[in-house]
Amino acid sequence: MKRPISKFAWLTFGDYLQQITPSLGKLLILPLVLLIIFATSIPSAYAQGAILTPRQVVEYALTLEKLESDFYTKAIAAAQSGGLANAPRIAKDAIQAYGADEAQHVTDLSAVLSSLGGDPEAIAIPANPNYSAILKRDPFANPQDFLLAGQYVEDLGVAAYKGQVQNLLAAGEAGKPVLAAALAIHSVEARHAAGIRSLRQNLLGANVRPWIRNASEVIYQENRSNSPIPFNSDAFDGYATRDEVLALVAPILTTRQPSTNRGNMNRPVRALW
Amino acid sequence: MRNILVDIKTNESKADFTSRRNLLKWGLVSFGTLALTTVPTIVTAQPGSKIKTLSFNANDIGILNFALLLEELEAAFYAGVVNSRKISNGKELEYMRALGAQEAAHVKFLREVLGRNALFKTSDLSFNSSGLAAVMTDRNTILNTAVALEDVGVHAYNGAGTSLTNPTYLLAAGSIVSVEARHAAGVRALLGRSTTELDSERSVSDADLVASLNPVKGRAYDELYAPGQIIEIVGSLKILNNPIDGALVA
Repeated sequence: MKRPISKFAWLTFGDYLQQITPSLGKLLILPLVLLIIFATSIPSAYAQGAILTPRQVVEYALTLEKLESDFYTKAIAAAQSGGLANAPRIAKDAIQAYGADEAQHVTDLSAVLSSLGGDPEAIAIPANPNYSAILKRDPFANPQDFLLAGQYVEDLGVAAYKGQVQNLLAAGEAGKPVLAAALAIHSVEARHAAGIRSLRQNLLGANVRPWIRNASEVIYQENRSNSPIPFNSDAFDGYATRDEVLALVAPILTTRQPSTNRGNMNRPVRALW
Repeated sequence: MRNILVDIKTNESKADFTSRRNLLKWGLVSFGTLALTTVPTIVTAQPGSKIKTLSFNANDIGILNFALLLEELEAAFYAGVVNSRKISNGKELEYMRALGAQEAAHVKFLREVLGRNALFKTSDLSFNSSGLAAVMTDRNTILNTAVALEDVGVHAYNGAGTSLTNPTYLLAAGSIVSVEARHAAGVRALLGRSTTELDSERSVSDADLVASLNPVKGRAYDELYAPGQIIEIVGSLKILNNPIDGALVA
């Protein structure tokens, strides 16, 4: 059984605005802010938050996939001549394979977005996203930190896709092809998450399993009260809405580099993003 | 259609699965005929008892019942694995117990949702004891069978997803399928296999995929299998005697 989160470190919207203000006008931060404002201003008529069109879902998913793909690209570089150079072969193989999957998702979702009249090139992420926001330290410095950050990212990806299935269903027949693609991706992200969790258990002796045993293992809200689905059971994975995910991802999408001399290195990683 | 039990490490198992692959190759393994004609009479139900036919309708209730059947099979498999005492490694045994408990939780949930719409009781299922014994001969066979069951479960939930009409059912299916995918990856890791499913391991080839269900395919995706394809794959495992029909699997 999963225990509820005792204290969840949601970034408040005010914090978020303060953090990104210097970067406003660049990249897609402004659109993201508008997305968040828009999404949060709509009363939730649906279990999973505001209803998005299939195109909006694809734009959002492509943002996350570009970020994930870039995350693995940076990890592959670190595995060649950086902090992950000494990682075991099985971990490097996983980085390579999962990175290839995410790149494929970017390619195919870009095509889907084009087919829906959108512009995949307009979905941009910074050249150097602030991945240190994940753990409050460089996630590519050593295999332990990378695998923990990767677990957070992949588990969030699973929850993010799950959070869109009702939106795509609501679009009727027009949403079916996107729903099919989202489902085909969603379970692969779960395999990634479980694979990284296995690496942590098997290589590092971490007290973790391929499945989510405790809500504190993930950075989104795993348990939901008033749902007919027993998310508090380890047999049922939780979801995250777009506004929840974008709030979590926003600090990464800034180009603000981490402060390295604030004593963050010894901070527990429970206070996230 | 290829056999789902690929990459079996032991020689004796390989022979067994090769012969099954030949059966598949020659098209002899359709679910109903497999269940009723190739199972030795000694393991079919006792004389006079009638094995319930499972008929799945092509609607939300049919899909949930179909999911229930897969969960029952998985739960029965893991319970059998634990009882077989063939898994001696502590971590692996813990996985088998945990996965079994989670499948049982899925069964419980689906039965609660279905209520009186449940098509069958657990006791209506007629398991093929020799078929079950054959997938529990040793650790490698057990773990590879677990991967096969979990992978097919993932493809099954994905394939049913676009047919569900109730948003809560769809979210519930999504909540379950990612756990099945975690199971598949976790057991694959125990075996040293790729945690994602390789294209060469897929039991439904690109050519046989239902095109309308699969706008994307390949290693980066868990393709959507139609219920009929799932039944054919499950049939190849020879662990259930009940005949299966209905519009959903036609």
